Amino acid sequence: QDRTITGTVTDKEDGKPLPGVTVLVKGSKNGTQTGGDGKYALSVPSGSTELIFSYLGYTSQTVTISGSTINAVLESDSKSLTEVVVTAMGIKREAKSLGYSVTKVSGEEITKARETNIVNSLTGKVAGVRINAQSGTLGGSAKIIIRGSSSFNDAGQPLFVVDGLPINNGAPQISTSAGAVPQGSAGTDFGNRASDINSDDVESMVVLKGAAATALYGARAKNGAIVITTKRGSKGQSNISFNSSTRFDNILKLPDLQDEYAQGTQGLYNRASLNGWGPKLTEVAGRNFTDFLGVDGPLVAHPDNAKNFYKTGQTYINSISFDGADEKGDYRLGYTSTIQTGIVDKQKLNKNALTFNAGRKISDKFDVRGSVNYTRTKGEGMPTQSSNDPNVLIGANYLPTNFDIEQIKNNYVDPITKEQITITPSRNGNNPYWIINYNTSTNVVDRVFGNGVLTYKPATWLTISNNIGTDFYNENRFLPTKNGTIGALTGSFISANLYNRVINNDLIATVDTKLTPDLSLKVIVGNNIYENFNRTDQALAQNLTVDGLYNFSNAASVINQNSSAKSRIVGFYGDAGLSYKDYLYLNVTGRNDFSSTLSKANNSYFYPSVSSGFVFSELMKDNNDWLSYGKLRASWANVGSDSQPYRLAFAYSGQTTAFAQYGFGSTFPFNGVLGYSIPSIIPNPNLKPQNQSSLEFGTELKFLQSRISLDVTYYNTNTKDQIVNLALPQSTGFALKTVNAGSVRNKGIEVTLGLIPVKVTDFSWNLGVNFATNKQTVTLPSDVASYSIASGWSGLQIKAETGKSFGIYGSAWERNDAGDIVMDASTGLRKIVKDKRLGSTAPDWTMGINNSFTYKNFNLSFLVDIREGGVMFSNTVATLRSTGLAKETLANRGNIFIDKGVIETGSGYSPNTVPVQSMQDYWGQYTSTNTESSIFNSSFVKLREVSLSYKVPNGFLQNKVKFFKGMEVGIEGRNLWIIKSYVPHIDPESNLFGANSNGEGVEFNNFPSTRTIGFNLRFKI
Amino acid sequence: CKKYLDINTNPNTAERVDPKLLFSYAVTSYINLRSSGDLYIPFALAGQSIATGGDNPTGWGVPSEEQYDISSFSNGNSWRTYYTSVGGNLKEAIKLAESANPVNNNAAAQCKVVLAMSVYETSTVFGDIPFSEAWNTTISYPKFDAQKDVLEGCITLIDDALKQFDDASPLKIVDYDLFKYNGDLNKWRRLANSVKLRILMTMVDKDPSKAAAIGTLIGATNNRISSADDNCLVPYQDVAGKKNPKFAINEQYNGEVNFFFGTKNVVDFMRPLKDPRLPKFFTKPAKATDYFGVENGETADDDVNVRISTDLQSASAPEVLFTYQEELFYEAEIYARGLGVPVDLGKATTLYKKAVEESCKYYGVDAGTAATFAATLPAITNAEAGVKLIDMHHWVDKMDRGIDAFTQWRRSGPEGSETPALKLPIGAPAGPLFRRFEYPITNEISVNPNAPKNTIKFTEKMWFDL
Repeated sequence: QDRTITGTVTDKEDGKPLPGVTVLVKGSKNGTQTGGDGKYALSVPSGSTELIFSYLGYTSQTVTISGSTINAVLESDSKSLTEVVVTAMGIKREAKSLGYSVTKVSGEEITKARETNIVNSLTGKVAGVRINAQSGTLGGSAKIIIRGSSSFNDAGQPLFVVDGLPINNGAPQISTSAGAVPQGSAGTDFGNRASDINSDDVESMVVLKGAAATALYGARAKNGAIVITTKRGSKGQSNISFNSSTRFDNILKLPDLQDEYAQGTQGLYNRASLNGWGPKLTEVAGRNFTDFLGVDGPLVAHPDNAKNFYKTGQTYINSISFDGADEKGDYRLGYTSTIQTGIVDKQKLNKNALTFNAGRKISDKFDVRGSVNYTRTKGEGMPTQSSNDPNVLIGANYLPTNFDIEQIKNNYVDPITKEQITITPSRNGNNPYWIINYNTSTNVVDRVFGNGVLTYKPATWLTISNNIGTDFYNENRFLPTKNGTIGALTGSFISANLYNRVINNDLIATVDTKLTPDLSLKVIVGNNIYENFNRTDQALAQNLTVDGLYNFSNAASVINQNSSAKSRIVGFYGDAGLSYKDYLYLNVTGRNDFSSTLSKANNSYFYPSVSSGFVFSELMKDNNDWLSYGKLRASWANVGSDSQPYRLAFAYSGQTTAFAQYGFGSTFPFNGVLGYSIPSIIPNPNLKPQNQSSLEFGTELKFLQSRISLDVTYYNTNTKDQIVNLALPQSTGFALKTVNAGSVRNKGIEVTLGLIPVKVTDFSWNLGVNFATNKQTVTLPSDVASYSIASGWSGLQIKAETGKSFGIYGSAWERNDAGDIVMDASTGLRKIVKDKRLGSTAPDWTMGINNSFTYKNFNLSFLVDIREGGVMFSNTVATLRSTGLAKETLANRGNIFIDKGVIETGSGYSPNTVPVQSMQDYWGQYTSTNTESSIFNSSFVKLREVSLSYKVPNGFLQNKVKFFKGMEVGIEGRNLWIIKSYVPHIDPESNLFGANSNGEGVEFNNFPSTRTIGFNLRFKI
Repeated sequence: CKKYLDINTNPNTAERVDPKLLFSYAVTSYINLRSSGDLYIPFALAGQSIATGGDNPTGWGVPSEEQYDISSFSNGNSWRTYYTSVGGNLKEAIKLAESANPVNNNAAAQCKVVLAMSVYETSTVFGDIPFSEAWNTTISYPKFDAQKDVLEGCITLIDDALKQFDDASPLKIVDYDLFKYNGDLNKWRRLANSVKLRILMTMVDKDPSKAAAIGTLIGATNNRISSADDNCLVPYQDVAGKKNPKFAINEQYNGEVNFFFGTKNVVDFMRPLKDPRLPKFFTKPAKATDYFGVENGETADDDVNVRISTDLQSASAPEVLFTYQEELFYEAEIYARGLGVPVDLGKATTLYKKAVEESCKYYGVDAGTAATFAATLPAITNAEAGVKLIDMHHWVDKMDRGIDAFTQWRRSGPEGSETPALKLPIGAPAGPLFRRFEYPITNEISVNPNAPKNTIKFTEKMWFDL
């Protein structure tokens, strides 16, 4: 027989009623919430004995039912903060004991507006963590930079660890011919492999930023670590959870093109030219011109070409999971399907993720646990970027206005001859729809990772566990070029298989004991064995006989390439932690690694760390009201790291091709002979480990019953003796030499502020702000003028120079001492000087502002993401300007234009009076000869994420649809609005260099980013 | 543990190789550069020995290298090839050959001859370049040597090679000899001496003291290339991936229609002579009455203007490094000018006619027609006019050889008096004519503190170019 129980829930601090507290009958789904006055009424079955009161930010309370009125007083959980975070090696620690900064992002947070690449879901959420997405390609790659780039020549990606298993996050490139631009970075964006982690299976992501936090992982985690814990079955009844999202993607920013002038050069129509420097449409009205189909007709503007080229992409993410647990064990089985179509025809992404995770107590002393994750990702129609291979954007996005994109779309192949109808008759005229429809790059990744953990507890103070895991994937990339494609008229295709395998084993013993009633000691010792192996087999097949048949038997020539690499690390580590009275903590760690990649004399290296946390508020809790929690932390660590394999010995490699421009080099055997070459890098037999030392101080403060919380961190990290491939002038015969040289120092401050400005009945407003600033300073050996990190085009380079941060270098305007731009007296065009620093690639600071409003069961939250400082180069802008397509090129056409600047006279400078010959010459010289003209401030303010959700009240579900345990519906949006940007025509967030290069700040005809709006339904039964 | 970690031997590379394997890669890289879009197209267009056809829909298009719009890829890739793929491998091959036991002197000498050829050419492309400190793993930042010193160094390299050839040793590059000399050391010696003559001829106007060396060199008999059999060339293959890049670009981009046109500079000289090479060099439109070239930068008319013949630039057409006729043109010029020998116009006449005859035969004209045509050519009666005539024929012979024709033009006379007299191509920026590649920024200038600080523009002449 049911009875009704009523009561009031109040806050222990101020005695005021607490609204919105969940009241649940223990062991059932029967529950309700307190109203604005803190009161509740709940119908309770007769057999029930306990009620559970829970509220976010407060410690839950279980109260035994006695009588019909049960009041509860909830205590804010800040004073009894027992949040547990998973740190290095899967060691769980109380957050308050840590001597370094960690940030935990909950699974709920990253599934609010799900991203297909989990890396992107960290954007704007963690102070000191910068996410750099390469492009808008479906499944495209994203790079994480934690506390500034610390390395000269690796991308500095953090270690991804899933349930204790370090997994691969590569973004490997394949090189298609000697000297050619590698596919996978500059060409097609095939993504980074951390994207195989499925957001729906993630319980939490912990970002370990500093070396002290990651020291136990050793060399692999010198750039930080992202420690992911997957979901497990929760105790109680079995659950089935559904989460379904439907979303629509549109191009975020369209270029602003002119629609007054037709294709041509110097004011004359020319159908061989894709420039917008032809005649003014109004001036040739009534005249007929031959178009790309050979048809005569008038020139008419088509202002919506770019808009019509892009369509609405769709994303469907559906997941289902089954979980449950009892005292002896737990299980969870999850499946997620992601189906996505792109904003350009033929682009598709299909991802299926299956995960199983289970644990069981075999005896009081013995636990087993295992997990396995399988992901299959198939991408289709990945666009080629940059200028090297047929880039559809060049043909479709950058069209003179007299073209009609619909006409191009409907006429890309001759219906009778089946030959391509090119949009210009000359060598640059591939029809974009030919490329889109036929040259469809695909990749398929099959990936499995998982581990098995055995835990044995022979005594209460001793735990021994072994965690063995493997992570392997095979990716097949296929890039067809159909017969009839300009540049490869006889057709070709590339097929590549990339295999990567990680094996990892950790054997750990933990001793946990109290030395005195106030002093506890925890000692961990462990051994780690880690192996990474990768293999790439690829083939380029040329000259296809049967059109459209992509089989090696159909090719007149097949060039095969294969390579593999293996490296191993054996490490021994230890961690000793002392805690005094739960407020003073000290931790010391040490690890010694033995690496296969260094010479025997240098392959053993030890690194220590020390960290301490002091919760000073524990000492003053009796005599203050305003400070709810206060902690100081400090840490120091030194981490060594090894090299890539095979960098010690001078060796000759067999060549498949001798380079020639336009991809027509000779393949070996040539005239019956093979060819070998010296390496392009001079190896170094005496490489020693590189070394990173870092110092970190921080404080965590909570005020006014946690209405205000503040976390401030200062860090200073120096990575020295870097193993770098130092650029050599090629007159040495080599491009690079491997040395230990140079250091990169990153100093910065991270601030995380939490505010609850309003918390009243039915309504609360939570504000979270994270802010980070980082100053990077490079030191190079005195004989090294600069170090090239990545090269772009036309002299553009990302370089490091002593005393400065990584920057973009390239040709700049010549200026006199007064700062005036110097013109060439014969042409009136600007003069240039080469190899000048044009700005830093990294921002001065970044900030994320998250607002969350809760009204009854509604929640509205939005995230604003701000980047201030740094510069970028945009080749899209350069192209649109030099080709006369950008709107700004309309100015002064047909008029006499004298550029502002000075000309050199015999004695000094006088104001320029020489007009340019034409605006085509002006913009051509302005953009093509020069890097500075296409350098922009890359600061931005973006509305990154908005979500509105409604949680169907449990009471309602209880009454109406009994089998539902919870239901939530929402509207979600991502990348909604570029509130402020200084870059015309494109989204300032774009990076040619993918996730395995540390170059950034260069956009090179990248696939544009999208705006996403969708809705989401979650329920649990 | 030690054994477990001892896995750092690269399974993809070899720690020891025969020097011939480096030689073959170097030579293939070298000929590919010479016939490619990085070197051939820019120099043939900027040097005006071929033409783009302006805005002709199936022409190369404008603006292009003809308007001195040289891609930074071109100078960067050329530099990289000369220094790393070619120079670096030849230097290493020499080291391996000389440190082998027993020493492979002939392989070292063969590599030295090719290296001298390549370094000379690099200097004619870029001017002052690293040489004495280049290719030394202990020198990270080689200094730039003056062109004169580089060219002297090339001569020394050839002299070293000539001394090093050892007929008694069976060790040499034979099967990997891509020049098809099959390791015939006498052919290699003749090539070496002819290359030396080429270098001396490039230097002699600026450094008249070289005349003596020229006199000595041609005083000897049978030490230079002396028949078409000695021609130094590497054939391409009519197999996918091994085709002449000049052909491949037309095949893959233009449906086998040649992008390039005959320029007036060449065609207008050959037409009145009824030169039998005209149909070998060019394809005449069906509607055209005779062979007509276009002005550089001018839009070509498909019914009027000739294109470069797809037979000349066929898939298997060889890349030519040195021909018998080149040798004969030098010798004719030497006797017409009296360089280290007394002026002998009669000998000059015989030699230049023989050169033209050999050129005709080389390009596929039958021997009889070639001889008849050569016989119709005028005798040289005036030294100055004679030298111009020899230079013109010499340039026409090298019409399809990019940098070689361009160097021949630059050394044919002081600025304004070169043969032929070229004018600025249509659409090229106002100012002087094209003279060189600029140094590559990323590959060299920005990383070498010993590199020249000031930009040396493509219009600036180099040491040998008066």
